[in-house]
Parts: sequence; C-alpha cells; structure tokens
Amino acid sequence: MSIDHLLRKEDERLITGHGKYSADWYYDGMLYAFIIRSPYAHASIGEMDFSAVESAPGVIKVLSHHDVDEAKFKGLPTGTTAQNPDGQTQKIAPMPILAKDKVLFVGQPVAMVLADTLENAINAAELAMIDYDVLDAVTDYASATLDGAPELHAIAPHNRSITYINGDQAKVEEAFRKAAYVSHVTVHSQRLIANPMEPRAVVANYDARSDIVKLHVPTQGVMGMHGFLSHITGLGADKIEIETHDVGGSFGIRSGAYNEYALAILASKLLQRPIKWVGTRSEVILSDWHGRALELNGSIAIDESGKFLAIKFADKVDLGAFNCYFGSFIGTRNISITMSGVYQIPALAMSSELYYTNTVPVSAYRGAGRPDIAYAIERLVDHAANEHGFDKVALRKKNFIPVQDFPYTNAVGTTIDSGDFIQVMDRALELSQYTSFEQRRQDSAKHGKLRGIGLAYFIESSAAGNVAKDQIRGSFTKDGELHIFGVTGASGQGHETSFTQIAADTLGYPVEKIQYTAGQADQKVIGNSTGGSRTLYGAGSAVKNMCQQVIEKYQATAADHLGVSPDSLSFEDGKWVSSAKNLSVTFVEIIQSVLRNPDVQLDDLSVVGEAQSGSTYPNGCHVAEVEVDPNTGITEICSYTAVDDTGVIISPKLVEGQIHGGVVQGIGQAFYERTVYDESGQLLTGSLMDYALPKAGCITKFTCDHIEVATKSNLLGAKGVGESGCSGSLPSLSNAMVDALKIRGITNLDMPFTPSRVWGLLNAQ
Amino acid sequence: MKITINGTVQDIAVNDNTLLVDVLRDQLHLTGTHVGCDTSQCGCCTVQMNGSTIKSCTILALQAQDAQITTIEGLANQGLHPVQEAFSQEHGLQCGFCTPGMIMSTVQLLKDFPNPTDDQIMAGLAGNLCRCTGYVNIIAAVKSAAKKMQGQ
Amino acid sequence: MYPFHYLRPTSILEAKQQILLDSEAKFIAGGMTLLPAMKHRLANPSHLIDIGHLPELGCVEKREAYLVIGAGTKHMTVARDTLVKSSIAGLAELAILIGDPQVRARGTLGGSLANNDPSADYPAAVLALNANIVTDQRTIAAKDFFQGLYTTCLNDGELIQEVQFKIPLQSTYVKLKQAASGYALAGVFVAQYGPNEFNVAVTGVGNGVFRWTDAENALSKNKAIPVLNHDQLMEDIHASGKYRAHMTKVLLEKALTQLTR
Repeated sequence: MSIDHLLRKEDERLITGHGKYSADWYYDGMLYAFIIRSPYAHASIGEMDFSAVESAPGVIKVLSHHDVDEAKFKGLPTGTTAQNPDGQTQKIAPMPILAKDKVLFVGQPVAMVLADTLENAINAAELAMIDYDVLDAVTDYASATLDGAPELHAIAPHNRSITYINGDQAKVEEAFRKAAYVSHVTVHSQRLIANPMEPRAVVANYDARSDIVKLHVPTQGVMGMHGFLSHITGLGADKIEIETHDVGGSFGIRSGAYNEYALAILASKLLQRPIKWVGTRSEVILSDWHGRALELNGSIAIDESGKFLAIKFADKVDLGAFNCYFGSFIGTRNISITMSGVYQIPALAMSSELYYTNTVPVSAYRGAGRPDIAYAIERLVDHAANEHGFDKVALRKKNFIPVQDFPYTNAVGTTIDSGDFIQVMDRALELSQYTSFEQRRQDSAKHGKLRGIGLAYFIESSAAGNVAKDQIRGSFTKDGELHIFGVTGASGQGHETSFTQIAADTLGYPVEKIQYTAGQADQKVIGNSTGGSRTLYGAGSAVKNMCQQVIEKYQATAADHLGVSPDSLSFEDGKWVSSAKNLSVTFVEIIQSVLRNPDVQLDDLSVVGEAQSGSTYPNGCHVAEVEVDPNTGITEICSYTAVDDTGVIISPKLVEGQIHGGVVQGIGQAFYERTVYDESGQLLTGSLMDYALPKAGCITKFTCDHIEVATKSNLLGAKGVGESGCSGSLPSLSNAMVDALKIRGITNLDMPFTPSRVWGLLNAQ
Repeated sequence: MKITINGTVQDIAVNDNTLLVDVLRDQLHLTGTHVGCDTSQCGCCTVQMNGSTIKSCTILALQAQDAQITTIEGLANQGLHPVQEAFSQEHGLQCGFCTPGMIMSTVQLLKDFPNPTDDQIMAGLAGNLCRCTGYVNIIAAVKSAAKKMQGQ
Repeated sequence: MYPFHYLRPTSILEAKQQILLDSEAKFIAGGMTLLPAMKHRLANPSHLIDIGHLPELGCVEKREAYLVIGAGTKHMTVARDTLVKSSIAGLAELAILIGDPQVRARGTLGGSLANNDPSADYPAAVLALNANIVTDQRTIAAKDFFQGLYTTCLNDGELIQEVQFKIPLQSTYVKLKQAASGYALAGVFVAQYGPNEFNVAVTGVGNGVFRWTDAENALSKNKAIPVLNHDQLMEDIHASGKYRAHMTKVLLEKALTQLTR
C-alpha cells in the first residue's frame, strides 16, 4: 500500500524495523563499555584497585575518578537553585561523574570498563577490588532528617537542601482563622521509575582529525544536551556532534546528560576508538532519574457559602542522593505555580522541604510536579466536599475562574490566560453519565461490589522555555522539497508529522514534499528541547512564523506574476489573492517559478522563522468510574472520560494519543507502580519482575473529547498536551476510589491501589 | 551454524552463549528487533520461529539452529503487511520501540484468533509492554487488522 | 552470561552421557527460567545439554487411568491439546495462565517441575493429581518430589522424561497473578476423584507447593473451608501473608464453582 495512507511520516520506518535508536549504531573497531556501580546505598571508599580488571582478557582501559579529574570534568548539572525571600539559598550537591571517596546510592557509577567485547568487560569488572566501608543508609524523610542521621553531604545538615517558601503565609493564616470550614488531606505521590521502553545507551566516536566527537544518544533536543555535556566536559558545542534519529520514549528523563555519556566521550577521546555503552533494564531502573517522590499536605479554608478562602501546602520533596537537573525545580516552583488549580483563591502559601536520601536522584517525569499538585488540590477539594457535605460539582463550579475574568493572575503570580472550565466540565459530566451514577452504584452493590465515581478538574502550566526563542529553518531544494530544521527532538510525539502539517496548512504546500529533521548542527538554529508540553506550540509557532516569512518573501514575486501591487495581495488557503482584481495565484505555482530559475541560490531559498512562546495552561476535566471487589481488593476501571482544553488542535489523532499515554501512565501510578527500597537502601523493585507496568487491557472504556479554547500566547493558539493525562488521571482515579470505599469508612488512601493494599485497608484490624 | 532468517539461509559463527537477538542485531544488523529488558517481560525482542512467536532474548542462537526465523524486516515481502498498516493508521505507535515486537505478536494473535474478542487480544499481547500509547490505539489496530485480513 | 559448552544430544541416551561430563552440567529445554538466571549471572552451568528437540520427550497420550505428558511438552501444546482438555481440563486451564504467548511457545512441563519455583503453576497440578514423575532413573511420586524452595528430590543429572497424571472426575485451576512477573501470588488446583473426594494443591503463597489437607477434609465433610494461617505464608512487597491466606480461600471457592458438581 502507498505510504501516503500511513498516519505519520515516522511510521514507515518504525513499523518496518528501520528506526535507528542509539543502540543501533555500529562502527568498526568499536569498544564496549560496562559500568561498575556501587552495590551499597551509603559507603565510604578506601582503595580502588583495578589492576586485575585492566589485565583481564580483552580489556583496554578502566576509567576511574582519576581520569575524570584529569580531564577536569565537572559533576552533573544541578538545575535551578531555589531561593527564599529572606535570601536563604539552597544547599547544592552535584553528582560526580564517577565516585571518588564515597557512594550515596545503590547503582552510583564508580568506574567504566572498556573492552573488545561486552562479555569481556563484564567478566573483567568482577575482578575489581573496591574497599567499601558500609555506612547506615537513609531512605525516607523520617530517617533522613532525624537528629544524628547519617549525613550524605557535609554542606547539608540533617540532609536538608532547603525549606522553600512561597505565597503569603500571614494572609493564609488570617483566612483560616475566619473560615467556616477547614479540611486537611495528606497525599503521597510515590517515587516512580519512568521505564521508557528503550533502555538508555550511548555511542561515541571521536575523530582526531576534526577533534570532534560524534555522539548517538537519546535526547529531548540537541541544544539542551549540548549545554549539559559542555557544562560537564568543558567541550564547546562545536566539539560534540549529536546525531540522534529515534528515541524510544522519554517522559522527561532523557533531557539531562547522564554520567555514561560524558564517560563515553572521554573514553573515545583517550582511546581514539568508537565506544558503545548500552544499559540493561535492571541497570536503568537503578540509574535513570526517578520521578515524583513527593508528600503533599494540603489544607483548604472555605467560607459559609462554599467559597474558597485559602489553600496552603506543607510538602516534602525527596531529591534522592544528589541535586540533579530538575529535582529542585519540581519541588519548589512546579508545585507552586498552579497551586490554586482552576479556582479563584485569594490567599495561597506553601512550604516544601527538599531533602536527600540514599536513593537514585529524582528529576522530571511526565508532569514534573504538576500532576502531583493537581492531584493534591483535587483530592483536597473532594475531601472538603465529603467532610462538609458540599456537592462536588457545585463546589468546584462556584470557585472556578469565570470566563470573563481571564487573564487571571493567581495569588502566587501565575497568569492564566484562557479557559472555559464550565463548558469542559459539563461535557465531561455528560459523556461520563455522571448524574445517573447512583443507579449504577446500587446495581454494583447488589453484586457485592463497591462502585465509585471520581472527577477532577486539573490545570497545568506548560514550560515557559529557557532558551531566548524557538527557531526553525525552512529550506527549499531545487526540486521543490521543503526541508525544515529544528532543535527539538521527538521520542514518539510525531514532530515530523505535526510540524510538516503546520507548514503544509500554512503554505498550501503538499505535505509529502515537506520533511522535518531535528538536531542538525550546521543548520544553526536555537530552541528549547522537547519537554514541559511546549513543543508543538513552541517550535510549531516557529514553523508557522517561518512559513509566514516565506509568504512575505515571495509576495512581490506573486504580485509581479499577477500584475498588481504587493500591498493589494492577501494570502489565504494556499494562495495570494488580489482584492482589487479578483485574481489569485497559488504558492505552489510561485515557488515552482522561483525554483525553475537556473540562477537561484540555495541560500536564497532558506528562511529562519522564530517565535517566543511562554507557558500555556492546558486544562481538563477527567471522570473515572471504578468498581472494587471487596472480597479480592481488585479494582476494575469501568470507564474513563477525558475532556481536555488543549487549545487549537493541529493533529487530533496525535493529541488523543498523548492523552491515552498520559492517562495510562497515571493508571500505572494509581494501581501498579511502586519503587521500594529496604532499610539498607537496596532497591527491591529492581527489575520488571517486581516493578509492575500496565499492560494491554488495563483500561477498556476510554472516551476522549476536546474543547478548543484558543490561547493568544502563541501563533498556533495551541496549548500543550503531553503531560495532561497524568494530571487528570491521578486525582480522578483517587477520588473514584475514595468514593467507592467511603461506605466502609475510608476517607483517604495512598497509591498504588493494588489488590493487596486495598483489601488490607478494608480489613485493617 | 545454519539458520534461516527472513527466507535466507545464513551460515554464521556464534559462541555457545550468544543469544538469538544478538545474532540478529550485532551480526546481521537487523536492528528492528529490540532489547527492552533483561527479565523476558517486555516483548520488544519478539520474532517468529517455526510458526510461533518467541522472545529472541531468551533463546540461545544454537537452540535456534536450523530454524526458520522471521523478523519485522521480513514480515512483508513487498509493501506492508495489513498489521503494519493498521498500526500506523490507528496511531498504535508513538516512539516505535515496542512496535516491531507488538506487530509480530499481533500477527500471531490473528493467526490463532482471526476475529479476536477483547479478552483474546489482551491475552495475546500479555507479553508485550508499551509505555507510550496506553494500548488504546494498539487494541484498535489489532481490530482493524483483523478486519483487513478478513477482507472487510 | 558466563561461558559454557552447548551440546545438543539426538537421543535420551546421548543426553544421559553428556550430562555426566561435568557436575555443573545442566539440561536446558525451553530455558524460560534458566536463561534469565544465567543472563543475570545467578546460574553458571559448565555445559547446557539441549533436550528441547528430543521427540521422545514430547508426547500427550492416555494410558489407562493416566494422562501422560512428555517432559519436553510446551505449555502452548498442553493448553490447546484436545485430549488434555477432555481428560484433565484443569491442566489446559493452568497452561494457558502461564506467562504469556511467547513464553508458552518455549517453556516446558519438565523445566517447570525441575526448577520448582515457589510461585510456579505446574507443581500445583502435579501434586493435586497425584502424578508420577518418571525420570531416566526411577518413578517418583509427586508427594516426594517437591522439597522446598527451588529444591526437588532429583539427583544430579537425573532427567525427567514424562509425567503421568491420574485422570480425575474433574479438575480446574485458578490463579491470582503478580502484576509484574505474571507468576502466582496464589494458585489453587483442584482435582476431584470422588463425590466428596477433592485434592487441593496450593502454590505461590509460601516456600513451595503443598496439599491443603485442612480444606480437603472440610470439603469431604461438607464443612466450611478454613483460612490458612497467614503467619506461615510469604509476605513480600506484592502481597501480605494475610492477603495470600484470604485469597487462597477465595480462589478455592472460585475453583469449586468452576467445577460442575
């Protein structure tokens, strides 16, 4: 069948097995790397003797901290440093590329063995003699912050990085004093392991002549990866050429450079050989950045009529053993930006204690704190409704930011530009058959089952972006192909399809003739990496701007062609139209005439578009209906309804796919996933035999709908969507479970709602 | 040892402890078959062997000596297999890493059950994990492929 | 994996000779449990004797009062075989619940029994059906075969050739799967041999498969099914001992409703 009938441009190679992921690169003379990792959660290191490793068959070299120090590598980037209004700044502890005199989590890299075969490297690694002096480990808040607890970093007494504050504490306390109703709820967003299906890998190939190391590595965008690698290695971006074709899922954990990438660069330069390192699943479970790991203690103050007066949070944020990348941002800014949710709340305050434990460092995982705060707020609202007898729909609607009040700035300074919460909620209630639920509850009860319905209205702030602007280059070739180049890299989002769609629609140019490639250094464009649900509107707006510039560029040519003045032309539906004389000419015709000119220079056919797009506020109402069998603790998700406002939609099927994926990751957190450390800091859920991921059939009845409330904050009117599924699913599923079990006196319960835990709760003595 | 891969008899040198997936990827450079885990859970390495689907990461090359292996690259001789088409059209793939294995398992599932029920689909895909799609469109792709293959 | 020697015998006789080459030599059939262990370097055999292709080890036939299944028979075969379904339906029900389709295409009855994983399924069937495990050296009664965590009474180098299951009046298997691994958090096999004669074997809840004699007694006297003592059951990150105890009873109740009494 014709390729034209495939949904996405990416699909042809991916469905035929011709994708190229980082482990799919092979070079002659390649060496294989194996990482020696700490088997202990907390230990000081005496002597490290690798002599037996180095003389083992096939081994070329062992890299240790000596080599890293000699190369003057820094540790991993630590991300933003939080600061309080009183000037107090965060204690920061970067992770070294290779451990020197101590290790702080099981899995921490200690050395890299390089050999002619992977098997030889692994065999040799077993001969390493490393003198560990095992120390007590701390793996949770209570043990980490206790007086006399083992200290991970000398600069951080009691293992505290900072207690961050935001909002107006005094105003909030005043509101609580005056409140008619007050409710508290504690929710845990448990530590998760992202587990994208492609285990991380790196292939590095240094070319001495050009002094450039070529790197194949999963990224979320080359600029970001260049930045991190330059920080670590001191090499300029012109010394590292990143060629990434396909990335097998990311969910936030790919954006930062890992230790192995820097080590592969070092090894390739020292040995002047291509280097390949591929992680095993158990290894990446133990060394990919973990996600979430938050405790959120929320309180809400409500007046007599049901108006929200204040919300406050006291949160605990587990950073893991080191400050890596986004951990701090998540635990400070990201859980406060939207801490009022979709509601008008005059007073807001929060504090969050960021602390260290002997566990894998935590960084961004799909939503990066925003699903967690959405979860906490919507649990809090439901809890208050349950405690004080409010109707859950009416209470929310009463406090929604009304359409006429946009743009609305909340009490911590976040400006939400648009939304129509009532319309979205009404649609969700309609599709989920919310009002007829009680009958279904009674029917389930007749069969001895506990049925519950839960709704949640979430809002997200998509990422503001940390690069000055997003740029996209568009270059026509002489045979009429339009090649688009950008920085941002996909890991399944379908950028090759959506960006080319934007260009095709804007120009009226056949989409088969347009292609998008990410990460080509010689195209000299800057932009944000993929992440924070901003790429479609961020880089996509730059695509649109590029097209608009192209249209402007050839307007004069079109005018000449039609014999009119350029000012009299407007462009719509793929053609220039003259207002005066009812004449038109298509973009296709004009560009073809330009390309036919034998003197046309390729440089002339290239345009750089750009856009500056800040945060957008995707939001939605999700409704989950569950049925719990109290005899087995097993829960069936009877139906799930997601109505989302993601602004203007470019590719409906792709948007829906993102909702599906995000919701099912939320189902994973709600029903399946647990990261368990024992007291000595050993990871008990160390492989997919013990870390349960959702499988096909975890949800069957799934309805998606969209209300497009355009945003004016970017050229496309689009809001993000990548992370919304998580924000909607955690609270709707949790609220549904509480609704199902409240008849048994349960008012709050922690994820994951596994059969054993639910049954245990129902049968607690 | 001799082994037939996608219809071509290959004579390859292997170590006793070489896995079939290593032969496919490292020696034959058929990198469409992926390694996603190390406990035989994920199914990214699924290929056909002598008419059944197996996990190529959990079989020694020598155990597969003289067998007929079909990988994702050899699924369709010309054009696309209806299952491949259906996966694309239904948006049953995003990052594509699980996709070759998912497609191979779907081909098998539809051989066993040409008109599968939801339960049969779930059982048929129980050995394949996906982290991107939430499986919703994968299940739609299986149903669409079933219709295509029944000539509807 | 550590290095080893791979051998493929063409007869049982040859297999018996090859296994003697080294005390660390092991048989491999499907390899569904052995290979993952070797990939994690938890097992380190000197030789792998591949018995996965021996035709003598793959049979499904009825011999008088017994259904006989060759040790090399794959789970997929047991799940689909019409003779299995008609004589011991519980075995077919069990086989289809093992792992996933790809695992069932390779894993074997003999491999599962020789490994005796405390959460494996087949041991429950073998015990409940009073099976005889026929090796190249002797015939072992099921009650003598399973000796605890990953331990059987097999001698080094002893090869399981076939398992003879006593055909019951009816049988069924019910399982609660561990969500990550697919192994049994609890699994109950019920074989009925007389109007009030039920054999009940339980897997997944402790150190190994066992006959639940208290439940069998209760069923024979039409009394209520008791609950296992949870203190003696496995407690892990997936399920508490109390939950396992409770679910074993729930599974047995479900099994009984599945049987047509």
